[in-house]
Amino acid sequence: MGSLFGDWPSFDPHNFSQLQPSDPSSPSRMTPATYHPTHSRTLPPPDQVITTDAKNILLRHIYQRAEEKDLRPKRAAPEHLVPEHGCKQPRASSSSC
Amino acid sequence: MFRSNNIVARIFQRQICTPAPGTSVHCARRFYENLVPSFTIYDVECPDHSFRKFTDDGQYLISFSRNNQDLIVYRPTWLSFSCKEEDCDSHDLPSKARRFESFFTQLYSVSLASCNELICKDFFLYMDSNQYGIFATSTVPSQDAPATGGAIPGFPSIEKMTFHLLRLEDGVILDEKVFHNDFVNLPHNMGVFLYDDLLAIVSLRYQTVHILQIRDSGNLVDVRAIGAYCHEDDELFLNSNAQANFNNYLAFSSISLLFKSNKCMAFPDKSKMHQLPQNHVQNGLHHSQPNLEESFLSGIKQRLLSFIFHRIWNEEKDRTLRVQCLKKKFYFHFQDYVDLIIWKVQFLDRHHLLIKFGSVEGVLYSETVAHRPVLDDVDFSIISKAVFEKSLNASFLALIPQKVVAMEVKDFRPISLLGGIYKIISKVSRNADQHPAFFAVYNMETTEIVAFYQNSAEDLYHLFEQYCDHFHSTSRNSLYMNFISSHSNNIHALEQLRSIKNKATSSSQFVKKMLGSLPFSCQSQSPSPYFDQSLFRFDEKLISATDRHRPSTDHPIKFILRRPPCSLKFKIKLGPEAGSADGRTKKISSFLFHPFLPLALSFQYTSFSQPSVVNIHFRR
Repeated sequence: MGSLFGDWPSFDPHNFSQLQPSDPSSPSRMTPATYHPTHSRTLPPPDQVITTDAKNILLRHIYQRAEEKDLRPKRAAPEHLVPEHGCKQPRASSSSC
Repeated sequence: MFRSNNIVARIFQRQICTPAPGTSVHCARRFYENLVPSFTIYDVECPDHSFRKFTDDGQYLISFSRNNQDLIVYRPTWLSFSCKEEDCDSHDLPSKARRFESFFTQLYSVSLASCNELICKDFFLYMDSNQYGIFATSTVPSQDAPATGGAIPGFPSIEKMTFHLLRLEDGVILDEKVFHNDFVNLPHNMGVFLYDDLLAIVSLRYQTVHILQIRDSGNLVDVRAIGAYCHEDDELFLNSNAQANFNNYLAFSSISLLFKSNKCMAFPDKSKMHQLPQNHVQNGLHHSQPNLEESFLSGIKQRLLSFIFHRIWNEEKDRTLRVQCLKKKFYFHFQDYVDLIIWKVQFLDRHHLLIKFGSVEGVLYSETVAHRPVLDDVDFSIISKAVFEKSLNASFLALIPQKVVAMEVKDFRPISLLGGIYKIISKVSRNADQHPAFFAVYNMETTEIVAFYQNSAEDLYHLFEQYCDHFHSTSRNSLYMNFISSHSNNIHALEQLRSIKNKATSSSQFVKKMLGSLPFSCQSQSPSPYFDQSLFRFDEKLISATDRHRPSTDHPIKFILRRPPCSLKFKIKLGPEAGSADGRTKKISSFLFHPFLPLALSFQYTSFSQPSVVNIHFRR
C-alpha cells in the first residue's frame, strides 16, 4: 500500500494508516442521492411570476394590521378580542430587533 | 473588514478582499475614519450672507443675502497652492487660505424677492435628479386676518407666497407657484414635503394639501388638492347634484344625500347603510338652506369620520353593545373629531400620505422644533384639581437708569423680574396632553384612510421603532440618503434609544415624545459620513445630523472612533483660536457639513442676526 502521503513530509507517518484508499482501477460509484417527487401537488403553476412587492414594508404592515382588525369579528364571539391570537407573524416586541 | 487602521494597509487590503454582500458602501465609508477634517481655519473672512445648506449631492452651497432678497450659489472647490520648499507639510498655509473664496467659487447671484417680499431663509428643498432647487418668498404675515372663504380663524395670513423652482446649474427660474392669503408653515421645511418629483404643500389656513409634480421640463403641475374634495371630480359631482337638490328639496335631498354620502363616505365593500351618521348630516341640511358647502364636512374629514365609525362598529360583535360602544367612543368625541385640522403631512410612498391631525389650539401654539428648549417628561395630567397660588405672580420691579445721570423718574426704565416658576407652569399647563394629536395614513389613489392612530399609540410606536427609515421615505434615486444613521439601521443609535426608553418615567409620555417627531420634515438631515454612528461617536447635544441651531460651547466637540482603538479622530472647535475672553454671553452655533468631502463650516452667533465667527474645518 505504501504511505498515503508518498514523499510528502508529515508529522506522524502513521496518521491515516487505517484509512483504506479506494483502488483507482475500480472507482466506487459515489453518485449523490437524488430524490424524485412522489406527487405533483407542490408544483408551481406554469404561469407563476415571482416579483418583489412594490409596496414598502411599512405600508405592508399597516395594511396587514388594518386587515387583522377587520377580520376579528368573523371569529366566534366568546373568544375575547386578544390581538396576539391568530397573528401569522409575531407581534413587534421590544426584544426583537 | 479592515484589519489595520493605516490607510495604505487598508487600500492594499481592499484590493484582495471583497466585502460581505450588501455592505460595499459601508466598507467604503470606513475610509472616512482615515480622512477627517482635522484642520481648522479660524475666523475666515467671508461675505456677509446667511449660509443655508450644502445641496445633498455636494455640488452647491446655498446662501441668501443679508436682506433676504437675493440668492447666492457657490460651488465648493478646494484650497490649492504650491510650495517650493523641501518639507512642505510643516509650513503654514498661505494667507489666501483664510479667504472664503479659496474654498468656494461664486457661481451666480439671483434676485428672488421683489420689494416687499422676503426670502424665507429657513426653507430650501433640492431635487437632485435634475438639480432643481425650490425656494420660497413671501410677504410679511399679518396676524389678524379675517377668516373668509373657509379659512380657519387664528392662523396668520400671508398676502402672497411664491414657491420658485430654480435650476441650480445656471440660476434660471423655471416655474413659480403662488398662494394668496394663505399660510404655509415654511421654516425648516415643516409644511412642504418633497418625494421624488412630488411636492406636498400644506395650506394650514384653508386646510388643503396641494400635491404638485415637478416635471423634467421644469414645470410645476398641479396633481390634486386634498381637503375639501378628495377625488378630482368631487366638486363637479356635488355641484351638479346641488342643482337637482334646489329644485326638489325635500323629496330628493334624502335620496341624493344617501347617494352623495355613499360616494363621499367611501364605504368599503359593505353595502350597509347606516342611519345614524346620516341623520346628522340630514338634520344639518334641513336646518340650513341648500348651501351644501357649509353643511358638508370637507372630504378628508368625511373619510376620517367614516373610518373611525367603521372601525368601532366592527370591533364589537354584539348588536346591543355595538351602539353603546359607538356612543361612548364616537359620538361623545364627535365634535372633537370634527374640529381636528391638518397639521403636517409627509409622503410614505407615491400614493400614501401620513397626515398629522391636531386641534386648532394645539397647532397654533405648538413649539417649532427645538429652537427653544422643550420641557419633556413633565406630566401635569395627574393633577386634576389645582388652584394657582397667587403669590406665584409676585415679582420685583427694578428701575434701570436710561441715562448716565438719571434725575427724573422718566429717565428710568422699569423692568419686572418675574420668577421662572410661573413661566414653566403656564407653559406646561397648555402642553400637548390636553390637545391630543392623531396620525392617519391616507391613500391618495383610492382616497381611503388606511389607518388611524392617536399619538400615544403603542403599535404606531413599534412600527416607528422598527421601520424608522421608511418614515424618512427617501426616494429611490438618492443612494446616499439611505445611509443616514437612524435607530432602525444602526445598533448604536438603537442602544441610545433603548437607554432613553428605560429612563423614561411613563411609557405613554415616551411614546408621545417619540411620535412627536412624526411626520418627519423633508431633507432635514445631513448625509455626511462623519455623522455615521457606526464610524464615530460624538455628543448628540452639541452636534448632530439634523441642522438646527444649538447652544455652543468653548470646548471642542470630539469625534471619537467607534471601533477599537477608540481614539479621538478629530475635533471641531468653535470659538476663536485662543479661546473666547467673554465666557458669559450665550452663543449659538450651527454647522454645515459637506455630504462627502471632509469639509465643514461652523458658525457661531451671539445674536440672531450676524455670525460672529465662521470657521472652516477641512483635511489639510
